[in-house]
Amino acid sequence: MKTEHIIDKLKTGDIRAVARLLTLIENEEENAETILKEIWKFTGNSYIIGITGPPGAGKSTIVDLLAKIALDKGHKVGILAVDPTSPFSGGAVLGDRLRMNSAQQSGIFIRSVASRGHLGGLASTTRFMINAIEMLGNDITLVETVGAGQGDVEIVQVADTTIVVEVPGLGDEVQAQKAGILEIGDILVVNKGDRPGADRLTKELRMMLSLGEKKEWESPIVTTTATNGSGLEILWGKINEHQNYLGDNKKNIMRLKRINYELENQVSQKLFTKKMVQIGENEIQIMAERILKREIDPLSAVEKIIKE
Amino acid sequence: MSKKGKIRVLIAKPGLDGHDRGAKVIARALRDSGMEVIYTGLRQSPEDIVEAAIQEDVHFIGLSILSGAHSHIFPRIVELLNERKAGDIKIIAGGIIPNEEIPKWKKIGIEAIFGPGSSTIEIVDYINGSVN
Repeated sequence: MKTEHIIDKLKTGDIRAVARLLTLIENEEENAETILKEIWKFTGNSYIIGITGPPGAGKSTIVDLLAKIALDKGHKVGILAVDPTSPFSGGAVLGDRLRMNSAQQSGIFIRSVASRGHLGGLASTTRFMINAIEMLGNDITLVETVGAGQGDVEIVQVADTTIVVEVPGLGDEVQAQKAGILEIGDILVVNKGDRPGADRLTKELRMMLSLGEKKEWESPIVTTTATNGSGLEILWGKINEHQNYLGDNKKNIMRLKRINYELENQVSQKLFTKKMVQIGENEIQIMAERILKREIDPLSAVEKIIKE
Repeated sequence: MSKKGKIRVLIAKPGLDGHDRGAKVIARALRDSGMEVIYTGLRQSPEDIVEAAIQEDVHFIGLSILSGAHSHIFPRIVELLNERKAGDIKIIAGGIIPNEEIPKWKKIGIEAIFGPGSSTIEIVDYINGSVN
């Protein structure tokens, strides 16, 4: 498809055009930039809900059920589901869709995304991919992260409401005290609520939250059993509460901060690429060898390279 | 494809048989060769498969069918892809497809059929060759 053709189609909410744009963005093709520039003013209209948590916690199933609930309440929904890329082959098996049968059957747009080496729980292009999906005219975008570890907290830079899914059996209460993923949850979910230990985990999480300083928004804890749908309506209600709490005002302040941060990132990346082209790979190689031979230390090497 | 482009393949098991070992072996082999595989699981209808393939913007749909349902499913998927103007998405298939039928299926647009005994390398090479 030609670039102009894609832009025209995007403006009509064409599914193929959106799917193709997602590919262009993922592949970091030049025309993706052209298209994004062109459609930017039409994007930003969906409420972004992020779902994160360890592998196998039930994120995909929860996303599926949330999508269905939202649809039944008259929303239009899009889903981005990120899975890890193999660090060895560069390939990926993207299996989130497998758990998203009811969303799929209802015609909800689902895109499986490989992280392509990016750390933090998302792909480097996830933000732009959300914008691309918004061309479908959806008012809700659900973003599922890769099975996240303790430090994979990038979703908080993307989502308006972040849901952290935990399951019983993964550790004692000290785990709940650690910094990282638990801190980013606007809503905490204890999934597999029918399993032994679910009540205890809920108590431990409540304890952890009560120890922290009082916040304006206190993250609720919702117990769910995604396999039978129990607790999902409550979760949906909590999402609405959080959305109402944010209102347009807080949401926009939050989004502005992110755009700031994102802009810094983009600028530093572009500068980096520009500088690297200017220096050339060879120079880095030579410097590395000198560092290895102890002719120069790495800190001075960096200074020297930057000055060049 | 650009330098950063990846081959994307949708692996689906239409029909009612529940043996997805083959589909999983293929998914794994494609992953290990650097492709992105969208695995959709058992009992997918042709409509589901085509919709998923379009949303995922894949190069290939890989179908695994052991039940004999292919004689209904192959033409239906081809038809749906054409209806959606997505005829550029190629179809390959594996499972139990009688040899004497292969020319017939190739004619309607099944690009390649890999029966029992096919090596995963053969399949990977075929897809690589066909995309690049």
